Amino acid sequence: MLGQSDLSQIPVSAFDEIEVLYGASGLTKTSGAFGGVVNLVTNPDWNNRIHAKVAQTIASFDNYTTEVGFIGGSSSFQSNTRLNFTSAVNDFPYYDDFTKEQVTQHDASVLQYGITEEAFWKIKDKHLFTARVWYSYDDRDIPPVVAGSSTYYPQKMLNKTLRSIIEYKLVEKFWNFSVKTSLVNQFMNYRNDSMFINNDHRYYTWFTSARFTWTRVKNLSVKPGLDYTYDYVKSDAYSGIKTRNTLGLYLEASYRFNDHVKTQMILREDYLDGAFMPFVPSLGLEYKPFNAINLYLSANAFRNYRYPTLNDLYWAFWGNPDLKPEFDNGIEGGITYNYLSDNGKFFIETAVSGYYSWMHDMIVWNPVPENPSVWRPQNVSEVNARGIEASLNLKWKISRLQITSSNNYTFCKSTYEKTTSPEDQSLGKQLIYIPEDTYNGTLNLNCWNFILGYNLVFVNKRYTSTDNQSYMPWYSLSNIILGKSFNLSNFVLSLQVKVNNLFDVDYQSVKNWPMPGRNYSLTARFEFKR
Amino acid sequence: MSLKDKIINRSKIYIKSSGLSFLVFIGLIIYLLPGCSKEPIREVTQNPPVDTSKVTYNNGVFVVNEGNFNWINASVTYIDNKSGSVYQDIFNQANNRGLGDVAQSMKVLGSKGFIIVNNNDRIEVVSLKDFRSIKSITGFNSPRYIEFIDSSKAYVTNMRKNISVVNLKTMTIEKDISTPYWTESLLHYGQYMFVTCIGSFNESSANRKAQVYVVDTRTDKIIDSIMMGKEPVSITVDRKNKIWVICTGGYDNYEAPTLKRIDPALMIVEKTFTFPVQQGVPSKLCMNPTRDTLYFINGGVFQMSANATELPAQALIPANGHLFYGLDVNPQNGLVYVSDAVNYVQSGYVFKCSQSSGQILNTYLAGRIPGSFCFTSSSKK
Repeated sequence: MLGQSDLSQIPVSAFDEIEVLYGASGLTKTSGAFGGVVNLVTNPDWNNRIHAKVAQTIASFDNYTTEVGFIGGSSSFQSNTRLNFTSAVNDFPYYDDFTKEQVTQHDASVLQYGITEEAFWKIKDKHLFTARVWYSYDDRDIPPVVAGSSTYYPQKMLNKTLRSIIEYKLVEKFWNFSVKTSLVNQFMNYRNDSMFINNDHRYYTWFTSARFTWTRVKNLSVKPGLDYTYDYVKSDAYSGIKTRNTLGLYLEASYRFNDHVKTQMILREDYLDGAFMPFVPSLGLEYKPFNAINLYLSANAFRNYRYPTLNDLYWAFWGNPDLKPEFDNGIEGGITYNYLSDNGKFFIETAVSGYYSWMHDMIVWNPVPENPSVWRPQNVSEVNARGIEASLNLKWKISRLQITSSNNYTFCKSTYEKTTSPEDQSLGKQLIYIPEDTYNGTLNLNCWNFILGYNLVFVNKRYTSTDNQSYMPWYSLSNIILGKSFNLSNFVLSLQVKVNNLFDVDYQSVKNWPMPGRNYSLTARFEFKR
Repeated sequence: MSLKDKIINRSKIYIKSSGLSFLVFIGLIIYLLPGCSKEPIREVTQNPPVDTSKVTYNNGVFVVNEGNFNWINASVTYIDNKSGSVYQDIFNQANNRGLGDVAQSMKVLGSKGFIIVNNNDRIEVVSLKDFRSIKSITGFNSPRYIEFIDSSKAYVTNMRKNISVVNLKTMTIEKDISTPYWTESLLHYGQYMFVTCIGSFNESSANRKAQVYVVDTRTDKIIDSIMMGKEPVSITVDRKNKIWVICTGGYDNYEAPTLKRIDPALMIVEKTFTFPVQQGVPSKLCMNPTRDTLYFINGGVFQMSANATELPAQALIPANGHLFYGLDVNPQNGLVYVSDAVNYVQSGYVFKCSQSSGQILNTYLAGRIPGSFCFTSSSKK
């Protein structure tokens, strides 16, 4: 919520790619962000003249999505307009463990729409202007938990957000400069009839950032920067108006010793409402041992912090204004290898990385005795997170058949390293709801404009108690896609059928929150390109 | 190479390639199989609870484990006094379903137990013979505590509004005593019921009117009210018929917590003990069997004579890192039971302690967030 963005509310179609910057690389964009920053990126295609698309999806449980996009322009100007609309009832059936009968999910509907306009203007490959405006509307019911209250009290969340960004970039031979300013205006209403809550929150953020890149000296790149963020919140849930000023000083330097060795250093210091925040450095090294083989070794050491959200601090009575930031110190290292066959028909890329980090002063919301509905955030926990991430991507063309496969596996051991009570059995135990292993793999076959895709998601057990005495068992879900596209000069029509949860697994990701069984979606997409 | 050799070679290649395709096939099965599990994915406990089918609940202590809000993991633990055995999750075992969301308290009347399931707006009435549910009384407004008036009538407090009057013969809510506010703790005193009232649920302490309602149990009418400190959460009575109330001062630390003594003859507060500010939130007031000593939690467990002129300075059982959450005194033998909720997200503990020294005599494992106790009527030893 406030001071954090809910990814479920960002329609993926509104952006060309979502760039997730894990760990230390997140420092390059903003500070105070932990566990990675999500950056929404759209890039203009200067060769495009006209590109229009319309897509309609009809899915189970009265789920309808419409997407419309129009991209047009010249070699120096591009405009990108996108609209999306989703309405869903989500009245899926599930088995209620409490009443022992099949019931239908209720109060789970969502209404969501958005409009995005982006304009890119380029002068002589030297000046680039970008302007973006994005409005989104999201109105959703929060459904009851399985066997929840015998009487269901409505819970609703309404979110209206207007974001606008203007960016200018100047590119010279040995240096470039960019400046960006953005304004976010967010309105949120949260209603919970069981707790008698009906709160409005209005949130403004003004963010300005300047970056200078200097590449005069060969193999050296120096990138100083300055950020300023102003947050303003007027909330029924806070006592009075809350503001926050953050001034960030940033320096990135990278040096290439030779064709084999490259280093990168990032330094960041924030000045938040008159106080210096912890200094956050990051140091990285990349090594390519062979000339002919695309094998890369990398190592990184970092320190980061996450400032408490405004809710953590100011949520009426329950917030804790004395909270300190969370800290994270860690190291990471990895190997990446890729190979492209001479005829270009076979490509393989694989990467393995490991990390080890120690988090201090983690903020945890704990209930206050005597009032189970009052939870207050505290800097109580210490967590040691270490893990492995491995990926394998393949592209293989055998005459008309194209096979692509991506496989991602993560191993994450995150354990509690601090206890306050003598009876606490959580020391060294895995964090609740953090699975040790997850796997996500897809296999796509393309032939004669047909596509057949299979996706497998595996999530290992997630503990529901900090002493690891109870857990949600592992589950795996399979999804399958069958599609066909028809090309007719400048037109493309594609049809796609998707079956989610193919084997109709009756699972719960979070205890007592029902999930839908097998469900279907049908998408028709029409594109015109010139 | 002879023809024979050729054939052997070919068949070797064939075996090799079929072996490969067999591996691919096995690989595919492994790939697809996990998706085929038909068993519903539901929470599992590492150590399944001890079988309770032969247990009788006639001499022991019930520990009511609140569970986490919205996790639907409330449970009841039973400590058998004779054998010292501990039985977990006895409601689920007897009824093959969970108890529900947030079990607040339990009381025994004759051979029946009444468990208040706060966030399910429900009271589970169980037989103490086998802990099977006899009836689920529904229609409450976030119920908190029950107090029996006689064998046919009880009052139930609610967080949202009203005091519910329950007909124990029909096991239904007979009527409501209208209070627009959160009612909490109950004390049956003569023909009256003293009911603490916290005020409006959705207001800050400044706007909450904290009081004790005096209800005439013959007419079910509120006949008087006594002003209290913010959040009067616990009420009890001593041997001299003085009524004691603990007020936390408000969840938002509106004022200092207080312990108030009411003279029920005059219906006035005759004495107020004020706790030091910022030194914990007192709660769970209870009495020893002879009703001359008070016990309460304020970080640690404190003991105070009903004749004392000031609050005790030293804890009987110091907290020492424990998160003491529930407290009661066994009315038959005076042993003090205090629970430790640990960090709220794992199994809690119960300590049985000596009445005089506070020394821990026994430690028992309980369920998630053990919050209150209920003693069987023949709970000796």
